[in-house]
Amino acid sequence: MKKTGYGQLKVWSVLNKIILVMKIWLFLMIPLGVAMAGTAHSQNVTIALKDVTVRQALHALERESGYSFFYNDSFEDLNKNVSITAQNEPLGTVIGRLLDRTALTHKFLEGKLIVIVLRDVEEKVKVKGQVIAGDTKETLPGVNVTVKGTTRGTITNANGEYTLEVDQGVTLVFSFVGYLTTEVIVSSETVINIALQVDAKTLNEVTVVSTGYQEMDKRLFTGSAVTLAAKDIKTEGTVDLSRMLQGRAAGVSVQNVSGTFGAAPKIRVRGATSITGDNKPLWVIDNVVLEDVVNISAEQLTTGDPNTLIGSSVAGLNADDIESITVLKDASATALYGARAKDGVIVIKTKKGRVGKPQITYTGNFSTYLKPSYDNFNILNSVDQMSVYSEMERKGLLNHSDMSMLPNGGVYKKMYDIINDSFNEETDEYELLNTPEERRAYLRRYALANTDWFDLLFKNSFVQEHSLGLSSGTEASQLYFSASYYNDNGWTIADNVDRYTLNARGTFKLSDKVSFGLTANGSSRVQRVPGTIAREVNVVEGMYNRDFDINPFSYALNTSRVLTAYDETGNLEYFTRNYAPFNIMHEVNSNYIDLNLLDLRLQGDFSYQVTRDLKYEFVGAVRDVRTTTEHKVEEASNMAEAYRADDTQVIRQGNKFLYYNPDFPNLDPVVVLPEGGFYNRSDDQMRSYYLKNQLNWDHKFNSRHNLTVVAGQEIRLVNRQNSYSNGYGYQFNKGGLAFTDYLIIKQLLEGNFQYFGMGYTRERYASFYAGANYSWNDKYVFNTTVRMDGSNRLGESRTARWLPTWNVSAAWNLDTEAFMKDIRAIDFFTLKAGYGLTANVGNATNSSVVYRSGTTPRPHFEETESQIIIEGLENQDLTWEKQYETNIGLSAGFLNKITLTLDYYRRNHFDLISVIKTSGIGGEPYKAINYADMKSRGVDLSVGTTVLDHRGLNWTSNFVFSFNKSRITNLKNLPRIYNLVFQDGGAQQGYPVRGLFSIDFQGLDPETGIPNFIDHNGNVGTDVYLQSLNTQYLKYEGPVDPTVTGGFSNTFRYKDFSLNVFLTYQAGNKIRLNPAFKSAYSDLDAMPREFLDRWILPGDEQYSNVPAIPDLANLAALGATYPYNAYNYSSERVADGSFIRMRTIALTYDFPARLLSGTTFSNASISLTGTNLWLLYADKRLYGQDPEFFTSGGVALPVARQVTLSVKLTL
Amino acid sequence: MHLLFKYKTMTKKIHTLLFLSMITISGCNEFLSETPDNRAKLDSKEKIAELLVSAYPEANYIPFCEAMSDNVEDNFGGTQDVTNADPYFWRDGAATWQDSPEFYWNGCYTAIAAANHALRAIEQSEDPAFFNAQKGEALLARAYTHFMLVNLFAHTYNTQTSDTDPGIPYVTDPETVSLKTYERKTVQYVYEMIEKDLTEGLPLINDQEYGGDGNNASNIARFHFTRAAAHAFASRFYLFKRDYDKVIEHANWVLNGNDISSAMRPWTSTYRTYTTNELSIAYTRSTEKANLLLCETQSDWGSTFRSFRYSTGAGRIDEITIQNNPAADHYAYSSYYTNTGIYFIYKFRQHFVRIGTNSTTGYPYTILPLFTVEEVLLNRAEAYAMQTQFHEALDEINVFISNRVLNYNPEIHDVTFNRLYNLYQENDNKKAIVRAILELRRIEFLHEGLRWFDILRHRIPVTHTTHDGQVMELRPDDPRRILQIPAEAISVGGLEPNPR
Repeated sequence: MKKTGYGQLKVWSVLNKIILVMKIWLFLMIPLGVAMAGTAHSQNVTIALKDVTVRQALHALERESGYSFFYNDSFEDLNKNVSITAQNEPLGTVIGRLLDRTALTHKFLEGKLIVIVLRDVEEKVKVKGQVIAGDTKETLPGVNVTVKGTTRGTITNANGEYTLEVDQGVTLVFSFVGYLTTEVIVSSETVINIALQVDAKTLNEVTVVSTGYQEMDKRLFTGSAVTLAAKDIKTEGTVDLSRMLQGRAAGVSVQNVSGTFGAAPKIRVRGATSITGDNKPLWVIDNVVLEDVVNISAEQLTTGDPNTLIGSSVAGLNADDIESITVLKDASATALYGARAKDGVIVIKTKKGRVGKPQITYTGNFSTYLKPSYDNFNILNSVDQMSVYSEMERKGLLNHSDMSMLPNGGVYKKMYDIINDSFNEETDEYELLNTPEERRAYLRRYALANTDWFDLLFKNSFVQEHSLGLSSGTEASQLYFSASYYNDNGWTIADNVDRYTLNARGTFKLSDKVSFGLTANGSSRVQRVPGTIAREVNVVEGMYNRDFDINPFSYALNTSRVLTAYDETGNLEYFTRNYAPFNIMHEVNSNYIDLNLLDLRLQGDFSYQVTRDLKYEFVGAVRDVRTTTEHKVEEASNMAEAYRADDTQVIRQGNKFLYYNPDFPNLDPVVVLPEGGFYNRSDDQMRSYYLKNQLNWDHKFNSRHNLTVVAGQEIRLVNRQNSYSNGYGYQFNKGGLAFTDYLIIKQLLEGNFQYFGMGYTRERYASFYAGANYSWNDKYVFNTTVRMDGSNRLGESRTARWLPTWNVSAAWNLDTEAFMKDIRAIDFFTLKAGYGLTANVGNATNSSVVYRSGTTPRPHFEETESQIIIEGLENQDLTWEKQYETNIGLSAGFLNKITLTLDYYRRNHFDLISVIKTSGIGGEPYKAINYADMKSRGVDLSVGTTVLDHRGLNWTSNFVFSFNKSRITNLKNLPRIYNLVFQDGGAQQGYPVRGLFSIDFQGLDPETGIPNFIDHNGNVGTDVYLQSLNTQYLKYEGPVDPTVTGGFSNTFRYKDFSLNVFLTYQAGNKIRLNPAFKSAYSDLDAMPREFLDRWILPGDEQYSNVPAIPDLANLAALGATYPYNAYNYSSERVADGSFIRMRTIALTYDFPARLLSGTTFSNASISLTGTNLWLLYADKRLYGQDPEFFTSGGVALPVARQVTLSVKLTL
Repeated sequence: MHLLFKYKTMTKKIHTLLFLSMITISGCNEFLSETPDNRAKLDSKEKIAELLVSAYPEANYIPFCEAMSDNVEDNFGGTQDVTNADPYFWRDGAATWQDSPEFYWNGCYTAIAAANHALRAIEQSEDPAFFNAQKGEALLARAYTHFMLVNLFAHTYNTQTSDTDPGIPYVTDPETVSLKTYERKTVQYVYEMIEKDLTEGLPLINDQEYGGDGNNASNIARFHFTRAAAHAFASRFYLFKRDYDKVIEHANWVLNGNDISSAMRPWTSTYRTYTTNELSIAYTRSTEKANLLLCETQSDWGSTFRSFRYSTGAGRIDEITIQNNPAADHYAYSSYYTNTGIYFIYKFRQHFVRIGTNSTTGYPYTILPLFTVEEVLLNRAEAYAMQTQFHEALDEINVFISNRVLNYNPEIHDVTFNRLYNLYQENDNKKAIVRAILELRRIEFLHEGLRWFDILRHRIPVTHTTHDGQVMELRPDDPRRILQIPAEAISVGGLEPNPR
């Protein structure tokens, strides 16, 4: 018996396989099979029978059609009397009609055979109906309709309709994200229309958490995560998806450090986790990790350098393609990402095609950016500015002879130049006489100019965005296709951008067991931004330097309103910069950067249901990004002309753009760019591959124990390359002919610079992971995960490259307990706790010795040779940066109205990489090693409520609050003063990751009005040595990163109108005010209104902390000290970073169904959105300075105030 | 039964999985061995040679050696900086940046690490003999850097106490852990190690290897241990070790077959015609034959040698060029002075390596002559004198003087015993001649730091006077003659500090 059983089992198994094979084969034959069936069924018959038996009728049909019927002759119904007539009707229809009133049915077989069998005993009922939303009465496409207890079911189509053939008496389950699941028993009626009620519990959150590896039922998910539906957070007019996260998810802080298209905001999930690392979250799109095109750390984002524009991972995504965003926050949620998850993971799901007839959606956004205005900034008007200049003139600062030798100058310099040069020999007259009267008359025009630079340089730009989405599908295959076009003609006269995106996604169910998906998307961007070169830090004087900065925002803020853009005749008026003529309007047209970006991604998914419990999944993706940054500097630009300014010996010796030739040691520097301009090009390329194999095993024991096991393996490969090439002497107006003076190349080589170069990085990751989730009766959930990661980033050593990470967590669904059942007020209540290790690769790659090639810094060309230096000694102790995280969470719903999620976490960061000073004996005096420690903790809170739902008025409200505080507990770095006082702050033991420190201001000198400080030696004085290591006398101001961030969203809905008011806020941080003070001002500088309160006479120091403009004698006495720069970094120049911002106000009108009934549109809406309109609260000391924005020049612009009209149509 | 079957298929599946993952893991290590960026690999002779370009310390010992010596005085009004003031007052400075003792310590050990990595690569190669020339250079560079360190950071060599005086770590292996401790051993040990490397490396040196087929081979060779440079180093080493036969032997190698006068710096001819710019370029350029070994250093000395407060002034110039001048006439050196009273010979020039093509900030570099023909000549003269070969010594001195005074006339300018007696009031001929040689070295190597080593070797007391009249003396046994070991070398590296 046993043996037989065993044998039977075996046979069964083989049979099973055969069935499987057949099914696959069947699938392959489907198109062919359909064709065959088509011909067979198209057989038409004409027949007219009256009062015959069914048997007789069948005989008649046999004759007529040539088909043979098979049936059991004992069927009683064969003897029933029927009458039937048919006029050239399909055979199948006729037979159907014939057997309609009998208990028989028919089936076509191959070879012109038809079998007649008994109908199933139970009646099948064809149910159909429409599903609408209980609140908005809109039809709901994509609702899951399933037969309870089975896997059978369907999805509603675009009109919310469904049809399903079911047995009588079964229960249909209607479920849809955000709505209460509804069950209906099928009795006799065949039309079941359902209005689904909004689920208060899931007001903000959906019931499934996508981790990128698994789709977990929220009730069984033990980690901390936020899932946001794209429709809830989409802000019309905002293109970059990452900006939409601001204030939406607790624990996620988003700072818009620059608003320029393509520049990523500074995003941190639960604060910084590394001292020297990038601190960037991992982006995952459709289960595939999205690699950055260039590695830009959060700190680099604030530089305003051109490469920040290719820093956003998601700038190529069309926001309309996004279905949902899930932010995985704690160690349990991110566990499956193991050694890359330390900074959190943001998982994006894009839209899939839906079952039903093709649905076309169109979204059109039409925006305008509002010009900035001087009303918001405290900048002197031209009259006040001119009076400051006249004080400077009195103090001997704008004197005639010195001014004519200066590299930069405004109206005074121009006046002196005219006086010097304007003698007209023919008329024997001066254009301008050097008399006080004539001078005053000359300056009068400028004093009254009051130039509005914002008005000249900014536009109320027109931005349009069109997005077309097409969704279509059957049970077996779904397609989603979208295309979008974005065009911004520029907020300033120096920038514009347009972008196309394309997205095609198909999902195919080949059989019950096999499904397959293919996604291709691409985007192309063409962007123009003002020409700029990389920012440099001048640590000697304490300031940032950027030569030839023509950032319109910075220009408008820093340029005197006395200057005019046009002269009296309406022509462009030039002043002097770098000894060469300069006009901003001219310069932005002749000195610009063209950025081209092409991004292509291809992804394939495959899954195979091996058994009922076991599923195999495969994901493979490849992405290719090419970017080109062309900095074009035309010959007429100031930047090119500056290289040619050599009129006088003073200029020749002062112009740093000339070349001092050591072969002619006694000669003045010479021009090395005699013709043309620059064509400087930089190319960044990235290609990444991703492969994943995964097995899921999901089993239910005794209906109470549920065990899910996942195991898999993945491989990632990223190749990046950057190359640059600087073209000197490119002649834009001569068809691009290059005219290069060899001396400019010689100059570069002698200065140890190369005029072209290429570098690459190659990242390889291999990982193995496994996780198990056990739940008992959906009440107690336990989860554990282990993962092993390997990377080449640490270098060649085989021991350092592998790292295991792990995690354990549990959840308790309290509401399922018997004692909670009676508490009606509580809808659900879950407690969670988790603990685990996550990691990240730090910025050190020397697990084996790192050699780097270079050239020797020797002054003479013939002495220069290649050299290899040891960049990093072998460090056998090198490992990954790690953290242990404890998370305790609570999520609950009350009264069907309020949902609450609260998480508390502690993080213990260790093995962080930081630089430490060593004995030097090994040959590396400062080493980056894993030794630093940090602790952080925080709270994430989000509350969602339905405040009011009465008489058609519905008011829902969402409040998000995040708190995060970090403290470095072990750090032996040796920061210098300038490392700590600049706007980005610095790291020091006992303080947050980025702390802002100030030079301690000690009032103004009573005699000179020059600021005094506590200097690097602890004494009061004017001379603070910014490179000093004595940082103990600095004053700690606070963290640079806010400790509190969040948002508050309110939605009011009345009939077809809805209004959303969304506020974001942050607090707890300090901001360094823009550097406004200098020891010597030129007649170009714009001055803030504080200058009106400046120290002028002794005694003023009692009332004013604004330093004097030093006269020549005081200036000379300053020598090589920089008290004014120190003042910019003093405790006087700090503001509180707290603000509340009116992020968006959006008013939407949905056209009601009755208005649309006659049209082809199934849905239409129109909305008006105001973005970033104003600050409700901010520190007054900011005087209009945006608390999020770092005014760093270059390509950085603040996030503009914006008004968007948006149209949405569904066809 | 059902379960059993499942179990069997599952174990089978697990086995397959294990097998597959084994393959993938071993494949993984291959996959993960990809170098992460365009770092260099030491896989050829050329690249080992390139690594040795960084086996010379990119740091400058002159600023503090000069400020500690008796070449300088307080020129009130000059530029103030701790890297100048601390050594003038023989204080243990806290400065760690360019031109500080710690920076030089770090620079030397960084150079040593490059030499050691090159030697390790040669050792591990299939045919180490193929890399003999590189091995020679690495050994010489390693010996030289340790030599400079031991003389600055430990007791000066002497036959009585060097076997117990603590030395400095003589590093021969690449460091491979994040933080490692070292030991000082003895000065004797360090000298033995230097001699071992020197004698092993010197015969391996091959001048043909520097530059190879390039046109500028000779220019580049001046930045490497050529045979001549190696022998020059040997002559200095044995002079410190008081092994005078060897000094002469190695000096002969450098000087023989050369017309010494034409190999020396042309102070009396070409240099006289130069402007300051031209002189500052020529002095440390590879085309200058007298330069046997040049080295670029990250140092501000190219501008500070003529601006520091504690530098050569009127008093010292008078002492050096008039009072103690054995040549009985003015030297041909063209010197200048500033309004703060600083006297200088325009020997150096700052090479400013900017952080961006046109930035105003960057790192200053100064090219140093590490070994010159003049030093070798004077080393040999001193060795002759120490061996009481006084005539040979005087001949050397006079060759030197003939190239340093204008319109040289042996009758007037040649040094005689008599003149030396009158000048230095010294009866002992040996002492008088050595004194003359030291004075010649003092002026010849002014601003070049070598005076400090003469002070150490000959236990010369140094007196420093401040602007306000305070007088400080550094006696021959003063512990402050030995620089303090850098703080982290004590705390992290585990070294014993020098007594204070």
